[in-house]
Amino acid sequence: MIIRIETESDIPIYTQLTNQIIEGIARGEIVPGDSLPSVRSFAADLGVNMHTVNKSYHELEKKGIINIVPKSGAIIAPTNKMTEEKKQQIVTELKPVVAEALVLGMSQEEVQGLVSSILEDIKMS
Amino acid sequence: MSFLIFFIITLFIAVIQTVIPYLVNRAVVFGVMIPVQFIEDETIKKYRKRYTICVGLLSIVILGIYLGWVFSQERLDNQIALVGVVIEFALILISLSFYLYYHGKTKQLKQQNRWAENLKPMKVTDLSVRKQDEMLPWYAYVLPILSTIGLLIYTLMNYDLLPDPIPTHWGPSGEADAFTAKTPFSAMQLTLLLFTMQFMFLGIHIATKKSGIKLSATALEASRNRQLSLRKYSSWFLYIVLLGITMLMSFLQLMTIHPEIGDGSVKIIIPFGFLLLVLVGTLIFAVKVGRSDKEVGSTVKAQIMDLDEDQYWKGGMFYFNKNDPSIFVEKRFGVGWTLNLANPLGLLIIIVPLIIIILIAFL
Repeated sequence: MIIRIETESDIPIYTQLTNQIIEGIARGEIVPGDSLPSVRSFAADLGVNMHTVNKSYHELEKKGIINIVPKSGAIIAPTNKMTEEKKQQIVTELKPVVAEALVLGMSQEEVQGLVSSILEDIKMS
Repeated sequence: MSFLIFFIITLFIAVIQTVIPYLVNRAVVFGVMIPVQFIEDETIKKYRKRYTICVGLLSIVILGIYLGWVFSQERLDNQIALVGVVIEFALILISLSFYLYYHGKTKQLKQQNRWAENLKPMKVTDLSVRKQDEMLPWYAYVLPILSTIGLLIYTLMNYDLLPDPIPTHWGPSGEADAFTAKTPFSAMQLTLLLFTMQFMFLGIHIATKKSGIKLSATALEASRNRQLSLRKYSSWFLYIVLLGITMLMSFLQLMTIHPEIGDGSVKIIIPFGFLLLVLVGTLIFAVKVGRSDKEVGSTVKAQIMDLDEDQYWKGGMFYFNKNDPSIFVEKRFGVGWTLNLANPLGLLIIIVPLIIIILIAFL
């Protein structure tokens, strides 16, 4: 899968990496059991600092999306059952975004439409 | 003989220097990154053409003068060699000056036209690109290293057969022309030298493999082709050259122990064959890699460009980027690799073996 980083974006590079890897899994471009490149080669290929990649991998590990196995590297974790705790985490992250959309003038239907179209975009490809 | 060797090498340098602008990475013009959208610019084409015409014409003139000088009257071999070396340096200096001139002009052109503005800089990589890498495995180097160990043991077993003094240098005709007193160390000198070179080449190989595979956001397929070709062919070329060096030096060592194997034309043919191998290998390598990104067409739709890394390239020649963990990166003007000078590991791989080689040679 292709990773594209916008270097002048306000979003830090490690967050862009994390987001794109998650999206790649959601789209099925990488599947559980696939391994991600080593921190060193990933950083070298992108020409970024190793800390940046490291930070992103640790973030993914904390979210339970990858397992970091010593010697074999970072492996995409199998999809587990949704726990109450994980659900709570998504709600905490999504709520402010939805609230912001409403404050900025989107209607309830528009927000729902937006989520559906994002879902469709991810699942279609 | 020595004229022929110098003429071929000089001709070779001249040809390569002349065509470089057409072999380098498509997105880099005279060491300056140009967004792909503007790569077909007429002024850029004019600069490339002018460089090639100027360097090409001057090379022909210089080679003609060398030819005339050699055949105008009887010349000594070492005179021919000395002038040959001076001419090779002159050619490199000339092409370097033209390069620097057009490097400045291209930089100016890019600024004046504001080519880098209004385009969103991007970095890109493919998670599966490492799986497509076709570099030789490191253990290919075990073979020549084992053969050197064998040679070392054989030398020590036949220590009594070695002449006193021991030859340490051979002229272009294959005759030894420098000697040193026979000691156990001087007997092993050549094999130790070979040993150090083999480990240096192995170090370069591993460092290259660990270095980044840099893809372009605006020419994904072309850049992938070029990076993978560069890695594959440079690893083969490095290995073949090392095999050549191993055979050449093993031959010299065996000839010292058993002078009869150097009888006849063998001692001229082997070094000459090695030279030919290196020159032809370089040519094939340069053309293969140089063309690898020219055949794949690409159209850029979006207003994006590759991250402008000009700031890390001093004069478009020396790379200095602390954030890049790569030890080697692709050269900007030329075909091949250059060191990331901000990475101390790279300096270690090159400098330590060089120091050891110098120490062995002068001890």
